Amino acid sequence: MPYLPTSQAYLEQSAQLLQAYPDTTRIVTKYNFPTNRRGNLKRAYKSQVRKDTAKPTDAPSTTPAPPSAATATLTLKTFNPTTGICLHYRTNKAQEVGRLITSLGKLAAGADVAGLGLSAAVPAAGADVEMTDAPAPAEEVAPVAGKAQGQVQGQGQGQSAKGKKKGGKGKR
Amino acid sequence: MAPHLGQDEFFKSLGELLSKTSQQVQGSVYLTQKPLIDVPGATTTNSQPSILIRATDGNTNTPNLKKEGKDKVAKKSQKVKLSTIVNPDEIEAFYVRYAEVCKAGMTGLKKRDRRGRKAKTKGGAAKVTKA
Repeated sequence: MPYLPTSQAYLEQSAQLLQAYPDTTRIVTKYNFPTNRRGNLKRAYKSQVRKDTAKPTDAPSTTPAPPSAATATLTLKTFNPTTGICLHYRTNKAQEVGRLITSLGKLAAGADVAGLGLSAAVPAAGADVEMTDAPAPAEEVAPVAGKAQGQVQGQGQGQSAKGKKKGGKGKR
Repeated sequence: MAPHLGQDEFFKSLGELLSKTSQQVQGSVYLTQKPLIDVPGATTTNSQPSILIRATDGNTNTPNLKKEGKDKVAKKSQKVKLSTIVNPDEIEAFYVRYAEVCKAGMTGLKKRDRRGRKAKTKGGAAKVTKA
């Protein structure tokens, strides 16, 4: 199920899920370090190599420090067993912990989307517009593509292209 | 099942569990919160239920059959399981302390103390919003 890109999106969606199913929805916060399994280490090494080749100029100065100290990750999960809806958010930044936990408290106390006070925290009006704009075309396109893959694909693509253009204009 | 702890005891044990995990640079801590409904002992005010908070280290007490033959069996430790109940009127105060304990215990996460990296992330963020 989806990992949401921003903590704000995660908290908003979670608030909606909790509002819809207040009795059965639960939130799990996982704090964990990467394991030392061989597959995991390999994957981490490969992604590191990929990063190094992508940015050759940064590699010598920044890379030696991170691998020595494994960074933990914090994964937030909102799960509703009756509908099977599961929302994720993952971060490795220590500065987010306090804010996330306080927001979880607000969710636990039954706050709605507005009660979280997140929209006020958004710095620029432009970003706000982008947030409300962006999800709409994505939602429209997905069901169309799913229902009739071959026939309506042209339309679906047209819609998505429109959505993207709109989004671009809005941001600039 | 172990009985629910008082909040002071819960925070103390949770702090220990988090710092132990951070020191070992290995393992996980799971924190769960869910509403307590239709359970005796839980008080409900304004149709707002009590919240059950659980913390575990994710160990299972059942033996892992795959690892049975290997040397890991001797290392097997007991599962750590903590839980507490938060009444609806205490939620705010509880989460203030909860956030403090988590911030203090989760030391394995990335800190933003580096100036170079800070500048870089700022630049990156600006790029993202513009693009």
